[in-house]
Amino acid sequence: MGTARYITRRLAYGLILMIGVVVLNFILIHAAPGDPADVIAGEMGGATEEMMAQIRARYGLDQPLPVQLWIYLSNIARFDLGMSYYFDRPVTELIGQRIWPTVLLVLTAQLIAIALGVVMGVLASRRPNGPFSGFVSVFSTVGYAAPVFWTGLMLIILFSVIVPLFPVEGMTSARFRGTGLAYALNVAHHLVLPAFTLAIIFLAQYARLSRASMIEVLGADYVRTARAKGLGEGAVTFRHALRNAVLPILTVAGIQFGNLISGALLVETVFNWPGMGRLAFDSVLRRDYPTLLGVLFCASGVVVIANLLTDLSYRLADPRIRTGGR
Amino acid sequence: MADPLMSLRDLRVEFDTRHGRVTALSGISLDVMPGETLGIVGESGCGKSITALAMMGLVPNPPGHVTGGQILFQGEDITRAKPRRLRRLRGREIAMIFQEPMTSLNPVFTVGDQIAEAILLHQDVSRAQAEKQVVDLLATVGIPEPARRAKAYPHELSGGMRQRVMIAMAISCRPKLLIADEPTTALDVTVQAQIFDLMRDIQREFGVAIVLITHDMGAIAEMTDRVAVMYAGRIIEQGTSDQILDNPLHPYTRGLIGCIPVLGREAGDAASLPPLAEIPGIVPPLHLLGDGCAFAERCALADDYCRAVRPPLEEKGHPVACHHAGQGVPA
Repeated sequence: MGTARYITRRLAYGLILMIGVVVLNFILIHAAPGDPADVIAGEMGGATEEMMAQIRARYGLDQPLPVQLWIYLSNIARFDLGMSYYFDRPVTELIGQRIWPTVLLVLTAQLIAIALGVVMGVLASRRPNGPFSGFVSVFSTVGYAAPVFWTGLMLIILFSVIVPLFPVEGMTSARFRGTGLAYALNVAHHLVLPAFTLAIIFLAQYARLSRASMIEVLGADYVRTARAKGLGEGAVTFRHALRNAVLPILTVAGIQFGNLISGALLVETVFNWPGMGRLAFDSVLRRDYPTLLGVLFCASGVVVIANLLTDLSYRLADPRIRTGGR
Repeated sequence: MADPLMSLRDLRVEFDTRHGRVTALSGISLDVMPGETLGIVGESGCGKSITALAMMGLVPNPPGHVTGGQILFQGEDITRAKPRRLRRLRGREIAMIFQEPMTSLNPVFTVGDQIAEAILLHQDVSRAQAEKQVVDLLATVGIPEPARRAKAYPHELSGGMRQRVMIAMAISCRPKLLIADEPTTALDVTVQAQIFDLMRDIQREFGVAIVLITHDMGAIAEMTDRVAVMYAGRIIEQGTSDQILDNPLHPYTRGLIGCIPVLGREAGDAASLPPLAEIPGIVPPLHLLGDGCAFAERCALADDYCRAVRPPLEEKGHPVACHHAGQGVPA
């Protein structure tokens, strides 16, 4: 199958999936207890029955649920995610500001997790019963088991308080006004702790997976062939074995992308990172349905795209999938 | 007589297993002469593949250990060679093809790249020259449209084609010794014959010595000059192919020869010809070997002496390790 056709088909599936996500979330949120009109009225400092009715009419909350859903879906088709009850601004605008910090955080964390995880796994696989392998196993278990907010707080205590290397919170320094490289460096400095916090959970999984995957691949016949050719251990490990061992890691990386975004929510809260996760978290507390739905919609879009990219990279890495006509 | 190309002298290889340390090869001595074909024959588990890997310095460690003896390649003991020296021998002087062409090629690289890798490693040539050599090599091993096939991935080729690719890779640096570990076991019978033809052609053209490891006496009859029969980590009979095939002395060798189906025999001939024989039982687990002859449990001629005292490899026309060598009806 041609790659262009493949992408088109996958995007179509992705769109259907996103609509499904919207419908499901819409129903879930409206089934949850709590009335947004109450919250809005509360923010206004109280309201009469008449004002409540006005609020409901303004946001379409007086309509039956299927009608509300239909209006919402047709608005999405025009890239209109509605108005935030809380900020009284278009949700697209809110998300537009918040999506990039999240994408930056998630991608950085994913890169750190994969790169470090694979390196640890590969080193561990060379001596599966050696001390480093044991360290990787213990580190993986602890990293995976520790709650992300706890890891975050521990890192803050270690690297912001005891050894003040990195800032405690935010994406830039409070009064920072620089641009260009200075801005990038300032953001990078702030990014280190949250990105590592988020990466540690996934790092643990990638380390275990690549250790297991490498041990298996190193026993494969083609690795023996590579040795019989006269290749050194470096070329055998990194060219012949690793290229095959990363295939399962790619698969898991795609699947984990959704978890990474939900993990970002907690990390953003701990580090006061101005991303979508915090927006979603706050929106839940504020019963700000349009914002919450918009965030979920965009997050599902990011996951769909990430999965597509994963599959494309998989096709690139494994020729059997590229040519094996499905 | 010329000096041997490779000599194994009393080679011992041991493996760590959950039953403790077991001896996979106990004192193997073999000579491979330049340009000849030596067959090593035996059932699964007799140590023939370990012998092949040892010749490449590739006994997996852990759990394997070469614990004694020498492996002399052109007089140099490769059991004592440094890893760097071994890597220069592998692929360039000693090459190997394996039983499973399906899994012996790396699935994520083109076959051309995999052959070129060996060439670039051992020869001082440019990438373009290496690629040209690859196409020539693929043509030599009888692959049609070699320029196009060089760009194919292993999964796009049949088993026979892949084994030809393995052979092309093995001969890419004109080795002096080619070790073929069951090169045709995984292939169709017609393809087997083609691969053997190819190996003979290559031997004639390049003058390479071949060690053919197999469990198939038919392949021995077709390909080899000399034969070593292995059982439970030892050589139990050794001689020219004619000696072994025409006058097998060890009951085990006779059993193996009895396993060759005779072409043209029909069901009605059953009265005039003995039925296709089989050797009862299996090779005993290495950790359960006692002091006696390892084959005794499966041998019709075995007596208490056989079970108590292991027969040494002795000259009885040709070297054989059996107290009852040559006795009894040939199978």
